[in-house]
Amino acid sequence: MDGLRAELLSKSETDDGSHADFYAAALQTVDAALDYADRYCEFAKTNAPKTLYRALCRVPHEPPESFYEACVFLQFIIFTLRCNRNTHLGLGRFDQYMLPFWRSDLKKGLPEETLFETLEEFFISLNFDTDIYQGMQLGDNGQSLMLGGYDLDGQDRYNELSEAVMNASLELRLIDPKINLRVCSKTPAERFILATRMTKQGLGFPQYSNDDVVIPGLIRLGYAPEDAADYTVAACWEFSIPGKGAEIVNIDQMVFPKVVRRELFDHLEACDSFDELLEYVKLGVAFDAGEIVGKRSGHHYPASPYLSVFIEGCVQSGKDVSEYGAKYNNFGAHGVGIANAADSLAAVREVIYERREYPKKTLLQALAANFEGYGELRNRLLSCPKMGSDDDRTDGIARILLETWANALNGKPNGAGGIFRAGTGSAHEYYYSARNVGATPDGRKSGEMYGSGFSPSLTGKPTGPLSCIRSFTKYDMTRLVNGGPLSMELHDSVFRDEEGIEKVAQLVMAFIRLGGHQLQLNSVNRDVLLDAREHPEAHRDLIVRVWGWSGYFVELDKQYQEHIIRRTEFQV
Amino acid sequence: MTAALIFSFEEFALHDGPGMRVTVFLKGCPLRCEWCHNPEGQRFENEIIKSQAGCENCGACLKAGGGRLNEKSVRACPNRLLRMSGESYTPEHLLERLRGVLPILNDAGGGVTFSGGEPLAHPDFLYECLALLEGRTHRAVQTSGYCEEEPFRHVLDQTDFFLYDLKLLDPALHKRYTGADNTPILRNFRILCDSGKPFITRIPLIPGVTDTEQNLTDIARFLCDNGVKNAELLPYNRLAGSKYASVGRRYAPGFDETVISQARTDIFRSFGVEPKVLWGDHVD
Repeated sequence: MDGLRAELLSKSETDDGSHADFYAAALQTVDAALDYADRYCEFAKTNAPKTLYRALCRVPHEPPESFYEACVFLQFIIFTLRCNRNTHLGLGRFDQYMLPFWRSDLKKGLPEETLFETLEEFFISLNFDTDIYQGMQLGDNGQSLMLGGYDLDGQDRYNELSEAVMNASLELRLIDPKINLRVCSKTPAERFILATRMTKQGLGFPQYSNDDVVIPGLIRLGYAPEDAADYTVAACWEFSIPGKGAEIVNIDQMVFPKVVRRELFDHLEACDSFDELLEYVKLGVAFDAGEIVGKRSGHHYPASPYLSVFIEGCVQSGKDVSEYGAKYNNFGAHGVGIANAADSLAAVREVIYERREYPKKTLLQALAANFEGYGELRNRLLSCPKMGSDDDRTDGIARILLETWANALNGKPNGAGGIFRAGTGSAHEYYYSARNVGATPDGRKSGEMYGSGFSPSLTGKPTGPLSCIRSFTKYDMTRLVNGGPLSMELHDSVFRDEEGIEKVAQLVMAFIRLGGHQLQLNSVNRDVLLDAREHPEAHRDLIVRVWGWSGYFVELDKQYQEHIIRRTEFQV
Repeated sequence: MTAALIFSFEEFALHDGPGMRVTVFLKGCPLRCEWCHNPEGQRFENEIIKSQAGCENCGACLKAGGGRLNEKSVRACPNRLLRMSGESYTPEHLLERLRGVLPILNDAGGGVTFSGGEPLAHPDFLYECLALLEGRTHRAVQTSGYCEEEPFRHVLDQTDFFLYDLKLLDPALHKRYTGADNTPILRNFRILCDSGKPFITRIPLIPGVTDTEQNLTDIARFLCDNGVKNAELLPYNRLAGSKYASVGRRYAPGFDETVISQARTDIFRSFGVEPKVLWGDHVD
């Protein structure tokens, strides 16, 4: 950071004065960080192990010279950024930028076990003082890291440090750091097997990202190919380029079921054919996407000179991230509740238009009455094919909605030097944005939660994991690389022997081959979850995946516990 | 065209043959094993299944059915908690249902397994399904072996792999606990051995019924006599009774469920048969 400081000084001296504020602020924050580091070092002299003290005598002023020093340095940066309120930043491609230190230590003769211990200690330290929302959503802190990945020429960047990280996470069973794994159709089976052992732990990671889809998708959005190949996840699942982006990846959301319901009430009675109705829904999706563009354009990343010094381009140009000094300044938006929306339209097509079993008016009355007194109609709607059952016709509606969403948002200028990008995630919107949306024709009652991210609805029980991955891989996912995973819950007994682990690994490989963009598997046991809700004291250490993050089940708010219990669990 | 009732599809079945499989459960079984954990697969006639969880006791089902549960009740439940246990499929319809997942199964070294109920109780339907799948995927049949000789030979020709149950060697005990004579089962087993087709023998370990020293010795000897080198032992599943209420029946086995299954693997080894105990509570 001394070097960084010198660069800032020299830049400010040669600057024509138009960026004086930025350089002054940046220097002030860097000086404050270094001052803090010095006090820390002083304290460590008498209160910490010698190794830590020695490391602090060097970093963050000087570049680290060992893996240990690099870990201390990284920890310092994470914590000072957090002091600066930059919370959901993620750890990026840890196995790439830390690899030189790992290798040079080995070359110097340091035993691998010592390095592995350092790695584990670093991971343990990530589990302290990370409570961002004070008492709720503990675990939603953005401490995700990405492993592996393929270069543009197809070279596999998974290495011995990636493997060590996997093994450390397997051994520690802690919620941080959350592991993401970049894979593609060429990834060897053994890696999926090791990753499945991690899924078996029940922590809800790794989360898989498919390079075959994500890299071309990012290039289509205008990212430079070499940057696209360097992608990581921001914090949960949103793809971003480390050190080059000040992107607001979840600036807003498209709530598909809300659009469907609105268009039904406005146009169902006037539409003589389903296709006519579908046109209105497409217009509705495009309209809401336009609203997002209108409402969010020109939005600023909060001014943050300290963050800016770590983002390529800001120091060079003298512009803060809030002045769009970064190379990428794009905005991403979630696409929430796609399964509920597609299921709803599929049911309307079958029951109202094709079989004409109920008058349009009756359907609207039933929805307005939250199905009170319309039990038979709700039963009929629930019986229609749902997304997750490999039904081409229902999935075909999902395809149209997703294409419309992507076309309406992707590439639209955001007034911040970047563009908008469409995704399939939901974060907590499966709960928040569902609260005020009335009953929908998939049989969902008023206020009931949607499926999480890019997943089946809670009412549409999929026929099985194979049909489910088929249902969620029929789309051009390169158009939806703001991200948002398919989540599937597998009963923990699936993982009980080697054979089961191999087969789960094959399931993941099938998803990747079919062109899915992101997948997240959970090993769960419904009975254990129910018991944990009743007797939290007996399940303090039970960890579950919530959305883009994992947390302790007993510390979650009630609605998130409920959602996890109600998600589909495939039993074997 | 033949058709049969299918009461369940299990995608991603892990224990029904090699690789990743889809298991198709045909409805109807000539046996009535006291420990059966698939009561909805026993009857050949369709019946109503009711999920208990989520029921608000609104009474809509009984009202629609005129005081009983019938097909009208299935359509009346506002939460759709009732369903017919079986859905009728023709072989072509079944192939359509499976077509999408076959490439996934084949890539993962798996295939399709027919189970039940008793799949051989629908020999024509089963044969046609197997013939339709020939060359498309790996085909397995999980069976009690209870059927006539001719249809068995017929199906054997169109099957790549068998999972064959042996329960009790003593004819009287077999009759008592399964309701059926074991003569055709043992005859078909010999036919299977002679055919050279790959198969695995499965022996349920029912406490005090099939896991006795006498029975397991008889089975081990029988396997040995037929040149069989390995077998899978299945400890009793204490959740066996969990689905009876949903089909309006009571689970009342004539043995003590709380006793732990005995695997007695030494007996098998002494006859040159390598036993593999599958997952479940047991003692050796």
